[in-house]
Amino acid sequence: MALFLTDEVSLPLRAIRDLGSEGLKQEEALVVTQCGLLGGKLSFGDASFDTVFVIWSKIDNLSDQWVSEISRVLKPGAEVVLQASSLSDNQVKPSSHIERKLLISGFVDVQSIDSTQSVLVRGKKASWSTGSSFPLKKTTNALPKIQLSDESDLIDEDSLLTEEDLKKPELPVVGDCEVGSTRKACKNCTCGRAEAEEKVEKLSLTAEQITNPQSACGNCSLGDAFRCGGCPYRGLPAFKLGEKVTLGADFLTADI
Amino acid sequence: MEGKKKRLLVLYASQTGNAMDAAERVGREAEHGGCPSVEVLSMDHFDPNSLPNESAIVFVVSTTGQGDPPDSMKVFWRFLLRRNLGCSWLEGLHYAVFGLGDSGYQKYNFAAKKLDKRLQDLGARSIIEKGLGDDQHPSGYEGALDPWLMSLWKTLNHINPILLPEMSEILHPTMRKLEHPKFKIVYHASTEATQHDSHISDLKDVKNMIERARSMSPSLHGHDHGEPHYLLKMVKNEQLTKGDDGRNVRQFILEALASVIEYQVGDVLDVLPGQNSASVDAFVKRCKLDPDSYITIEPWSGEKDSLDEYVNGSSDHPIQLRTFISRAMDIASASPRRYFFEVMSYYASAEHEKEKLQYFASPEGRDDLYQYNQKEHRTVLEVLEDFSSVELPFEWLVQLVPPLKKRSFSISSSPLAHPNQVHLTVSVVSSVTPFKRNRYGLCSSWLAGLDPKKDGEVLVPSWIQRGTLPIPPPMVPLILIGPGTGCAPFKAFIEERAMQNLVEPTAPILFFFGCRTRDTDFLYKDFWLAQSSDEGVLSEKKGGGFYVAFSREQERKVYVQHKIREESARVWRLLDGGAAIYLAGSSTKMPADVTEALEEVVAKENCVSRESAARWLKTIEKAGRFNIETWS
Repeated sequence: MALFLTDEVSLPLRAIRDLGSEGLKQEEALVVTQCGLLGGKLSFGDASFDTVFVIWSKIDNLSDQWVSEISRVLKPGAEVVLQASSLSDNQVKPSSHIERKLLISGFVDVQSIDSTQSVLVRGKKASWSTGSSFPLKKTTNALPKIQLSDESDLIDEDSLLTEEDLKKPELPVVGDCEVGSTRKACKNCTCGRAEAEEKVEKLSLTAEQITNPQSACGNCSLGDAFRCGGCPYRGLPAFKLGEKVTLGADFLTADI
Repeated sequence: MEGKKKRLLVLYASQTGNAMDAAERVGREAEHGGCPSVEVLSMDHFDPNSLPNESAIVFVVSTTGQGDPPDSMKVFWRFLLRRNLGCSWLEGLHYAVFGLGDSGYQKYNFAAKKLDKRLQDLGARSIIEKGLGDDQHPSGYEGALDPWLMSLWKTLNHINPILLPEMSEILHPTMRKLEHPKFKIVYHASTEATQHDSHISDLKDVKNMIERARSMSPSLHGHDHGEPHYLLKMVKNEQLTKGDDGRNVRQFILEALASVIEYQVGDVLDVLPGQNSASVDAFVKRCKLDPDSYITIEPWSGEKDSLDEYVNGSSDHPIQLRTFISRAMDIASASPRRYFFEVMSYYASAEHEKEKLQYFASPEGRDDLYQYNQKEHRTVLEVLEDFSSVELPFEWLVQLVPPLKKRSFSISSSPLAHPNQVHLTVSVVSSVTPFKRNRYGLCSSWLAGLDPKKDGEVLVPSWIQRGTLPIPPPMVPLILIGPGTGCAPFKAFIEERAMQNLVEPTAPILFFFGCRTRDTDFLYKDFWLAQSSDEGVLSEKKGGGFYVAFSREQERKVYVQHKIREESARVWRLLDGGAAIYLAGSSTKMPADVTEALEEVVAKENCVSRESAARWLKTIEKAGRFNIETWS
């Protein structure tokens, strides 16, 4: 069963014959026109077609959603063939643009032929997918064999790493201005270190310091960017000397 | 070589924006050095076929937690791995690689390391050794970038002096004039513009307005996905965790108002958070802006130098300034970058502020900037308030204020079980900074603050996106591992299978959950237990099961990987029957620990070596039977 998709109002029989080949009978083809109006969705079930032909004049309209819809209605291992005019606003070669879209959506064996008028791009849907079953011959001390589609056209990227790379990385040496911390907690710390790092002494401002703040160095009122390391006013917004300091009542520090 | 472009190209692959910032800095410094032609591009906007046409490229690539390259690098990288490229394909190309990573992970900077090696194997020449930025360093990746860049420029100048004729400007910057901003703001008469906005009452107009605002933002350009698919209403907002250790995991139930929500299990909901109205007002006031004016944003000169792919037709639809700020500029959550401080220094009228800003922007001040800015989660608004003499023109604010980003959440419901509703399981992010300030996640706390009864008109702009977890067909047995909020997508899977089970036979599910204690954070306890009955989809009798690791109920820590080892035989039985493994969660080490446990299970149950087991697991991963979705 083959599916023809076009964004034009109609599709000439010639186009079907040109692309179809291999003795495709007309009864075995379904044609959908004016695809631009479909909102990127096809009303067919998953894995219903052996081939999908896409004949679109405006190849820029081929959104990622369309490509994944096409993938969805294709049987595993089946082929998609795209034909489009060469004209495109994109600076990049239109065929590379289409190829990229197909690759991102999981198609394999993507090839293209460019000519002055049009581009033709073919791709195959991966023949493995969740749920496909594999014969499991359980011999002693052997693990079940898993069949994969042949990806030998790419090198094994793990071969690019050296012994050195694979060793556990060394953490950077921290100068002793970072008192007490040799290593920061991980972003999603579960061992409790992050909480320990957050536990700092309670705010140690006296009542006097809050109602009538003074500054010997002159920097305390200016804001965190200017305060000294041990400034008791650290963490508070800028204030005016002599005026009562607002402590976190400001929505800016509460940040909700 | 004839026909090679005589320019410096900077290609970056960024996941969260850091590599992009670093790349832009590389580009700026090259320009300061007088480089005649510099272009900074994301890898997914560059055709790898054209690599041989370049003469000098600097690559800036991030590595994500699992050792993977960013999404924007996937296709480019796949291309480079082709066997048929040959070892002299990139002859004549000089390159340098800078990686951004975190030495807390085993697979530290793997993307950069592999790229560097592959480029060499393809015949390119490295200008200097790869630089490796490290989040664990006291000042983050810039600790490595500063010296590496200096070394790069010096060496490059040696190899090819034409590229940096004003090299001395980099080495000893004089009182440099600030370059011009990349964009200009065009103000429109309100009459022509208000027609568009006067009917913002129905949902369609709200969606359109959001799209217009965000498509005009230069930092969001190319990365956003158009109009929100839905404007959702919060109908239930419930805290799931108990106890007072401060953790707040909530369930949100959202409904669409005037449409049917279409989604599948495994999908993700992208949410655009609302910003506090008072914060937006404070920003407008501080920057002396007119919130009611109508604007469009256009390239500075109209020339197509490095802005070839700029937004089309933005001049057609002016947007209200306040709307633009509120929908596209993150003013009260994200921290600005070093360059923001540098630009501010040119606009500070108070001498002490100018000096401090110049210091923060310099290599010497980098560590202190990190303490003040990144570690404190300083917001744009706070920085502007702290440096009150700075008057930044809106053009610069548009270019430099971090864009307001959408946040993604795994959907924890099945549409079969809850038609037209989307459920989310969200942990409200909160932390305390070194200076004892409380910080909350912008989106999670905004959602947490929406009261279904009082905030009826507040709508949540949302997009449905495919997640990375493929939908499991009903007849495939499942091994699900999802501690904490990692259980979210699996609640969806299990709900779905329970519904499917009503009409057709389904395969069993084995689910491993983890939390701290049964009394505080045993999320959805009743649901899992109900499904573990003999008739449920988690039934042990039918070959499945439900096992919980309570990490803090005993002296030693017990995690999901321990439970997996305990149930080794059961796990293998399902795997042997063709089961697919799914792993989700938010911990950095968890995926590696769980993979290790699985390797041990496979090795033990088949009496083979760990290496064979590891290889076998890698193979089923390639076959789509081992899927991992983690978030930070």
